[in-house]
Amino acid sequence: MPLHLLAATPPLQPVPTSNVGGSIAVGIVAIIHVLIATFITGTSFLVCVSEGISIARDDERHERLAHGMLKGIAYVFGFGSALAIFWVIFILLGMWGIFFIALTRITFWPFIFEAGLFLTEIVLLYTLYANWERLRAYRRARFGLAVLLAVALFWQQFFIDVVASYMLTPNGGDTNQLAQILNPTDLPLTIHRTVGNIAWAGAILAAWSALRYLRAKRRDEDVRVDDAAERRSVGAMSATWYTEADGGVAAHAAATSNVAFFDWAGTWGAVWAIGLTMFQPWIGYSYAKEIQLHAYPAWYRMMFGDLSNVFLLQITFLGIIFLLGTLFFWRRMRASGTRGIRTQVVVFVVLVLATILAAMPARFAWTLPDVIAANANRPFWDGGLTNPIGTMIPNKIIALMAMMICGLISVTGVVRAHSRGELRWGDATRRSQYVLVGLAVTVSLMMAVMGVIREHSRQPFLINGEMTIQGQQILNGPTGQGQNTPATTNP
Amino acid sequence: VIRLFTRPFSRRMRSGYRWLDERAGTTELIHKGLYEAVPEKGGWAYTLGSATLVLILLQLFTGIFLLLDYTPSFSEGYGSLKFLQDSDRFGAWVRGMHLWGAYVLILVIGLHMLRTFFSASYKRPRELNWVTGALLFFLVMGLAISGAMLPMDQAAYWTMVVVTNIPHYIPFIGDGIRNLWRGSGDFVGQTSLTRTFAIHIWVLPFLMFTFIGAHLYLLRRHGEFGSWVNYTTETDDPEKELGERIRNAEPPYPTRRTERRWAVPRRTVDFFPTQLFKDTVISVLLIAIIFVFGFVVGAPLSEPANPATLTYVPTPEWFFLPLDQVLVLAPGTYLIFAGVVGLIGVGALCMILLPFLDRSRERSPLRRPEVLVPGLFLTALLILLTVLGSNRLFNL
Repeated sequence: MPLHLLAATPPLQPVPTSNVGGSIAVGIVAIIHVLIATFITGTSFLVCVSEGISIARDDERHERLAHGMLKGIAYVFGFGSALAIFWVIFILLGMWGIFFIALTRITFWPFIFEAGLFLTEIVLLYTLYANWERLRAYRRARFGLAVLLAVALFWQQFFIDVVASYMLTPNGGDTNQLAQILNPTDLPLTIHRTVGNIAWAGAILAAWSALRYLRAKRRDEDVRVDDAAERRSVGAMSATWYTEADGGVAAHAAATSNVAFFDWAGTWGAVWAIGLTMFQPWIGYSYAKEIQLHAYPAWYRMMFGDLSNVFLLQITFLGIIFLLGTLFFWRRMRASGTRGIRTQVVVFVVLVLATILAAMPARFAWTLPDVIAANANRPFWDGGLTNPIGTMIPNKIIALMAMMICGLISVTGVVRAHSRGELRWGDATRRSQYVLVGLAVTVSLMMAVMGVIREHSRQPFLINGEMTIQGQQILNGPTGQGQNTPATTNP
Repeated sequence: VIRLFTRPFSRRMRSGYRWLDERAGTTELIHKGLYEAVPEKGGWAYTLGSATLVLILLQLFTGIFLLLDYTPSFSEGYGSLKFLQDSDRFGAWVRGMHLWGAYVLILVIGLHMLRTFFSASYKRPRELNWVTGALLFFLVMGLAISGAMLPMDQAAYWTMVVVTNIPHYIPFIGDGIRNLWRGSGDFVGQTSLTRTFAIHIWVLPFLMFTFIGAHLYLLRRHGEFGSWVNYTTETDDPEKELGERIRNAEPPYPTRRTERRWAVPRRTVDFFPTQLFKDTVISVLLIAIIFVFGFVVGAPLSEPANPATLTYVPTPEWFFLPLDQVLVLAPGTYLIFAGVVGLIGVGALCMILLPFLDRSRERSPLRRPEVLVPGLFLTALLILLTVLGSNRLFNL
């Protein structure tokens, strides 16, 4: 059925607000919603990894980490689901009612599956949350439930990606369900987000562990100073009040154990954050190519138009993520006096240069003449170019390649130091932990900027080529089918 | 039942076999072939090597049958396959088996290499096993892509146009290679087909069977390594235990020119019947899959090649999707060279020379992250590029 017929909704009176105000409100709520949802999805994967390792190697650290992350998911999910409902019901229906009703009708089945998976998620998450300790006797069953949770969350993301990608590449308004799922940007977006979610979850884990590490380190030092007699800090008191015999010794042991644990957990999170981000240039590049081939105006706006400056900011963030990751690995390895520190320093220097090269505006960068003439109409074997990022090459390609290779060397270095037993957990310096916090902040900013670019690239359309923000009407509908709201006009 | 039917001839058969054995030493040969020790743990994973060999032989047989009909001609090649598909009994099935056999072979040889990589089976003294195996992998890929150019339908023609043009991006010598392959610089024609056909049925198979011989000889010389789990010690005195193992080892162990620790697996089983049974099960299963897919799905044959077409969009075979994705993403002459020829060339060289790059003594994957992390990264990247490349097949 054609899009304009499905979207023919009764005239609605939107909430009286300006388009800018509506966009800002939707943008803010959407970004928070996306950050929470991606955290939950990515962390569920890390829970599975840690729980799997804890079973395979009888590793208590991983079990503790898996439990901690699962509790984190449960707490964040409580707030996040309320926000999602608030966002969907109040903001979208109130401010962009026609669009949202049309979208719900077009992508009805993905939304239905989404809702079903939401229920599945609740059942699995709270089963695990409430029975984690009880299920200790059935470790494999607990692991199975965690895997099911991760699978459910992946499919939930998949179905919302169908909706999101359809808004950018609706294939001329083809509402066929299969066409929606196989729309050109659905698969790249799903892969981009899946990998990004895990990296993001790793960064948050690193930052959270860094903060807990700093607190544990402070307690550890407090306990050491006072030994057992007087306790100055509330933290040290709370760590010891439940002990019966020798509170000081127990507090000391607990604090030392926490220091080692959070040091390890922070490094583990950082490895995931950098390790997964290494794939993103390739995947993002493929995603951009599909946008170029199937939504050329949106791509043009991102790469040549006003959003190209925001893209420069985004690639700068990417460089900073790699830089902070390497900086942390370097400082962490130095704190334990491991081998391979010099390599990290070299990698860091190369990354600084790569970030400068990547962030260089096109007018200052070296470009190939035939790159400027890039177009999708001529195949590459005929001398044409299907390059998706126009004047951003070749300096940005070289920089991205350098970032990937440097990231790989950096991660390999720290994992090698760990495998040789050279990293002593608890050695990390305070400054290195601030780097981890900075890493998580940068990843968050990058995700927000990425969302802004993607959503703004198709403006003034909400469904690309079909429905505008201002009019929320079907542009290609026959005469009389366009559903103008009384308060809006044609753009 | 066999005995019932062969009883009248059994004496003659026995004397005939004895005659052959005295002259050819068949019993000794069979004993050498069947009775050798292999590591006890991980037997199912070791079946991938023998399955690869079986699949290569299957390709050889189905290929011979296809040769009975196929004409390597620009104008008649398509017609000969059309005849084979439509009029020759079982022709479509055999062609389907050849195609699906190639698909399964690429998958199995890839898994075999991954297994070898993660278990560090390429380490001293088995470096040449890996090198010959890696070369065999590239030969199989070469056979696959040269075979895809032969049917002379649209897909084959445009595959030939794209693939024979890749050497063009190599500076200085690229155009020479392209001309040599195509027979002319800018266009593909009869000469291109004749040369590709010769490469597919003579050059590459000759090289492949040479390397298979070398690979099998080296395998028998050093024995199957298996994986690190077969080499742990169980007693408090590891040196004494290792010494006993080496003294009591069954051929082909102890492996020469390696550390004592990796010379003999903790426990071994006979190749016949234990390992051979597993090999047979996997090989039969794979052949059954190829039979079914060859019959049910078959091999596609699109429209005859039309160089003048403006609408046909060529798509690569699935196993070349990662390469194709890199080719599409690498823009401009110089970057195609850097991205496709340079990066993949260097990558291929690193893969072949892996045993000489990874000189650590460790065999457990968790203790050699310097190769495991890049290996995992590249494997994941290949899978990602394949999936991303497949997206374009749905959205042409």
